[in-house]
Amino acid sequence: MPEQAVTTETEAGAARQHARGLRLGIVGPVGTGKSTLIATICRELASRLQIAVVTNDIYTDEDARMLRAAGVLPTERITAVETGACPHTAIRDDVTPNLIAVEDLEARFAPLDMVVVESGGDNLTATFSPALVDAQIFCIDVAGGGDVARKGGPGIERADLLVVNKSDLGPYVGVDPAQMVADAQKVRGDLPVLAMSQHDPDTIRALISWIVELVERQRDGRHLPHDPGPMAPHTHAGDEHPHVHSDGEHPHVHADHGHNSPAGNRL
Amino acid sequence: MTTIASLLLADGRLPVGGHAYSAGLEPALAAGLTADQVPDFVAARLTTVGRMEAAATVLSHRRAQVAGSGGPVQRGDSLQAIQREVLARTASQPLRQASGRLGRGLLRLIDRCWPLAAPARELRDLDGEPQRPVALGVACALSSMSEAEAARICFYDDAQTVCSAALKLMPVDPLEPVGWLLAKASMIEQLVDEAVRVSGATALPALTAPLIEQWSLIHDLSHRRIFSA
Repeated sequence: MPEQAVTTETEAGAARQHARGLRLGIVGPVGTGKSTLIATICRELASRLQIAVVTNDIYTDEDARMLRAAGVLPTERITAVETGACPHTAIRDDVTPNLIAVEDLEARFAPLDMVVVESGGDNLTATFSPALVDAQIFCIDVAGGGDVARKGGPGIERADLLVVNKSDLGPYVGVDPAQMVADAQKVRGDLPVLAMSQHDPDTIRALISWIVELVERQRDGRHLPHDPGPMAPHTHAGDEHPHVHSDGEHPHVHADHGHNSPAGNRL
Repeated sequence: MTTIASLLLADGRLPVGGHAYSAGLEPALAAGLTADQVPDFVAARLTTVGRMEAAATVLSHRRAQVAGSGGPVQRGDSLQAIQREVLARTASQPLRQASGRLGRGLLRLIDRCWPLAAPARELRDLDGEPQRPVALGVACALSSMSEAEAARICFYDDAQTVCSAALKLMPVDPLEPVGWLLAKASMIEQLVDEAVRVSGATALPALTAPLIEQWSLIHDLSHRRIFSA
């Protein structure tokens, strides 16, 4: 699809959509702490914002049950969506079941400030389609290996926020969280990276204030969704910025345009 | 007439939410269905719930053709009447819900591709989510397919949903279910001939598969499942 068409559609979508609340995706490999992250978000924000959650468990409804049991939201505001063992498909190629779940929650509990969609957990190439969410957090953890941030991938490089989770475990797994953050920052340009620990209130506060600002920007129509996309960016000799190729007619989508990251997007 | 649109409707890659469903295979296997019984399971679905759904697809297609022709008086069963009869023949609430979700996926497609078509409006105005055959009939009519093609797609989609879900649920060579489906070709053609002769909504075949219904209820309460139904 030509770049121009995509841009126009996205802008029209942004204009059309800021009547509703933020749709925030949380994605990343299995076991990196996505569910706990969502529980934290709900616990910190449920008294200030109207929130609902959609989970995409791979073969159980454990994540949904864990969230319900955590008592951070009324249970009816948490919907589990089955993905037919295709967690990647459910957030990218065919978002229908998730989108229906999101729309139903928004209709039933209107007006919601935010719906959080949790991916079932997949590999490093999985990112949400902009048809499903307005922004996404990519979640990796130090216990998954110190080289993950350096290896990169669309989510690590271009998600709205990269969380390097369980930073307190660094000494036990022989990983330097600061190095992981530095590796990630190198490929993310202006996009934010947050080293997080459930045991460090400062990091939780940083996450929450990033989300609150995003909710406000979405509400005011100042948030323009962008797609991390499936393609790995690369540079040509002489290029100042990394970019991805879209098609022959419009070969370059520069990170600057796609990310549209004003200062407000930083942590 | 086979058009690109009609090929799309039979394509599992069409993004209308089908990947989350196994057409009852997952709960059937959990209840003890064996691998060599899966072709019989396909046949059991085709000749019971499949016949009902294909006939409903034909009626909904017929209705959409009339509405699309711009004629002054709309005769025949309304989509609401067809929907009511389909629901009356779908005793299991989880199966109604699964069909409704798939119907809504098709409605999203119709809204995007044929937003101004009169039958799209009628589908949108139904009470509740359109059941899959009701939405499928409209989509088939809007794609310029014949009634027979609409019925065939309804059967094919049901059988193919079982076959592709089998790959995720059983230790099976991916090419084997292709053979199961091909082996059902003549059965499907006979059922298509029957489906297009349906006279009206109250004359829809009232055939159910009680075990499939029972398994769907058990599945709905399960905490370990890959597929929604």
